Amino acid sequence: MKSRSRGQVRIIEAFLAVLLVFSSFAISANLTITQNTTRHYDLTSVGLQALMKLDSDGSLGEYIDDRDWTALLDTLNLVVPAGVSFNLTVYDEQMQQVNTDVISNGGFSSQETAFVEYVCASRGSVFHCYIVHLYLGVAA
Amino acid sequence: MKRCKKNFRKNSSGQLLIVAALAIAILISSTTIYVYELSREINNVESYPINDFILALRQNTKNTVVSSLSNASKGGEKTVLTTNLNALVQAFRSLHGLETCHLTFTALNNSNYDSGIWLSWTSNSSGISSAYTNFTLKVYGMETNIAEEHTVNVTTTVTINGFYTKLGGGEKLVNLTCAVYNEGQPALAENITLFYEDLGSWTLADSSNNLLITDYGNGTYFLSFTISTSSDVVQVSAHVYDLRDVFVQANTTCYEA
Repeated sequence: MKSRSRGQVRIIEAFLAVLLVFSSFAISANLTITQNTTRHYDLTSVGLQALMKLDSDGSLGEYIDDRDWTALLDTLNLVVPAGVSFNLTVYDEQMQQVNTDVISNGGFSSQETAFVEYVCASRGSVFHCYIVHLYLGVAA
Repeated sequence: MKRCKKNFRKNSSGQLLIVAALAIAILISSTTIYVYELSREINNVESYPINDFILALRQNTKNTVVSSLSNASKGGEKTVLTTNLNALVQAFRSLHGLETCHLTFTALNNSNYDSGIWLSWTSNSSGISSAYTNFTLKVYGMETNIAEEHTVNVTTTVTINGFYTKLGGGEKLVNLTCAVYNEGQPALAENITLFYEDLGSWTLADSSNNLLITDYGNGTYFLSFTISTSSDVVQVSAHVYDLRDVFVQANTTCYEA
């Protein structure tokens, strides 16, 4: 009787040991999932850098001043990395939408999306300040 | 004694198993946490957008100063710089970021600069259009506490020098060398227009004067034109727009070579 109950205790102990090891694996797996949030920053950074590249020589403000949405879309297609979808909206200082055409390279089918809000000061002799909203997604 | 020891070892072997398992679990967890923290730190440095945000803000302050100088150099009020920068500051305040952004500016005021703008077009052989502003940026947030200062200096300088040679019949051939600089570095001009003084009034030099402009591609331009005047000196004025649409006027007096 004593040796049988001792055997059961051993089984429980072994079970507890296995549970301990596996729970550590489970916690570790959860940690790696939360790392995905940092990739969100990556996409935000990609968007910001694309807009800054366009803005570095004043092109972004010039396209908006000229209402040349086709040229803006074409240039964005060049500066945004392949495999990233985008949708850009331009607002004036009163948050009234400026762009009359859709400035986008396709739909968003990805769970991973990012939003970039960018202030664009135009270099034209008549000063305009625009707020640019850029939505980015990883193309599936 | 030996039996007692053996019994103890037998009884405690299960507990040892749990202790060993606990040690392994702690090892696995701590290794994973260490690797995670390490990768998160690298990610923060590389991709946290606050650095990009500051760069974007600097870019916009420069664009605003360029726009204001362009406006002021074309006859706009010198206060346009302050007005435009206030609009920019207001736009940044309205951003829906996590951090609180506080941007302040001081337009330079001294013997040359008035409200951050300096237009010097009257001195002989050179003209300057310049804007100068100091910026202070403070960004407060959960993980961020940044204070940085930067200066935006947008200066377009044009130098012009030349002489004339007599062609006969009262005609003179005027040869000029014009150089354009942005912040002291050679820069290209968008447009150059030449005027010469004839009988007290400024006249446009054009194709009727056989105007020839040679662009060396390095910010230096050779200009020549012919005029009919009895004057011993020829006053020339170059009106230059650089690629940023900033206007500069430079005057020079040409003597016979």
